[in-house]
Amino acid sequence: MVLDVTAKTTDGKEFYRNQVIYMPTPQQMGRGDKMGRGPYEKSGMIHDSSLPPLRTTQEKFEIPVYVESTKDGKTVRTIIANDFVVDVEISYLPYGKKEDPGNNQKWVSISKKLSIEKGGK
Amino acid sequence: MKLLKKSFVLLGLTVVPLLLSGTRIQAEEIKKAKTIAELVAMYDSSSCHECHPEAHEQWQKSLHARSIFGPENTGRTAATFKTTIENGLKEWPYSGVKKNEDIGVRHLRLCSKCHLPQLEEAEDSVAQEIVKNVYAFVDEGDEKAKKTLQSLNIDCLICHGRNAIVHKWTDGTPQKDAVYGTTDGKHDDPDRPLIKQSKIMKESILCGQCHGMGPNFELENPTQCATLYAGHLLTYIPEGGGETCQNCHMEKSGLGHNMQSYRSKEMTNMALDVEVEAKAYQWRDGTIMTPAATVIVDIKNKAGHPIPDG
Repeated sequence: MVLDVTAKTTDGKEFYRNQVIYMPTPQQMGRGDKMGRGPYEKSGMIHDSSLPPLRTTQEKFEIPVYVESTKDGKTVRTIIANDFVVDVEISYLPYGKKEDPGNNQKWVSISKKLSIEKGGK
Repeated sequence: MKLLKKSFVLLGLTVVPLLLSGTRIQAEEIKKAKTIAELVAMYDSSSCHECHPEAHEQWQKSLHARSIFGPENTGRTAATFKTTIENGLKEWPYSGVKKNEDIGVRHLRLCSKCHLPQLEEAEDSVAQEIVKNVYAFVDEGDEKAKKTLQSLNIDCLICHGRNAIVHKWTDGTPQKDAVYGTTDGKHDDPDRPLIKQSKIMKESILCGQCHGMGPNFELENPTQCATLYAGHLLTYIPEGGGETCQNCHMEKSGLGHNMQSYRSKEMTNMALDVEVEAKAYQWRDGTIMTPAATVIVDIKNKAGHPIPDG
């Protein structure tokens, strides 16, 4: 299970991407610190970040909407866009890569339009 | 002496038929399929389809209908059989498998325990035939091999027969002349004229036989494809959950015998509640303005098991 959070300008330029993976990590042959890959070598668990039933898992993302530079020895932060879109997607990716055909199953897709005020000081 | 001889003869007349009878019964009980076609015939459920077309149509869309082939468009399960042979069986020094011809039922049991439990009623020749078809499909895309692999499945007679009783000392062994459901009664099928009640037909344990508990320690080399029933028992029930597998995957989903999971909209719509709160703001450090946004995602898993789980 993969949670992807991206931020894009209104003309589609992505300036932020973050990802959280939820999955049990099986232990190779029930020993050591290595993850088992195929089902034939899974016999334990070394880590588990799957979503537990009847519980709410919360993730928080801080998205910088600026690029930082230095001008005359001072730090300057220039805004990327006053209007932008945050996309939140939750997908089930049982194996392979997300772009492989037939692998990725998108479960949830939510977009939020956000604005940062212009002007002022 | 004569009396002793006569006694031996009488004893012989009594014991030999018993032994023969015992051998015959034993032979019937252990009669195993020698070919895939024979194994398919042993579990042929075509007569079920005539009277239960809706259940059949639903089942055909499920992965149970292609349990050793896998999804129609990928054949991923068949490919994993090959990976298991190449990266597992052939690499393990004590498996006894150096080449495909060494593979028997005991080796395929790593997969067949769940993907084809009826393989227990087959001889090694069937395991060999499965291996040949797996390689023909995976390596060459052989259509005939694909069809052969797709003829092996978890059909009516597995859940409503072979696997309908878990506690055999308590409830007996599944009868060959019966199908198992939720009540006792007569069944309009000359081969299986009885309907018998399976006490677990609506219980999670029926599914838990395959969608399992973790490492299968009864195997010579335990595997852990499925941990779903363990997840259900040890994480969902302690949270106060009360649904069974069948409640969600068959009844509430409306899918019936088309039991689905992560690829089905019906199931994924039921699985999660997702809330997203997002806010843009400007933080200030003296004269430096910092435009930023905060995004908070709350994901509630409403399923009867962890997500993901197998």
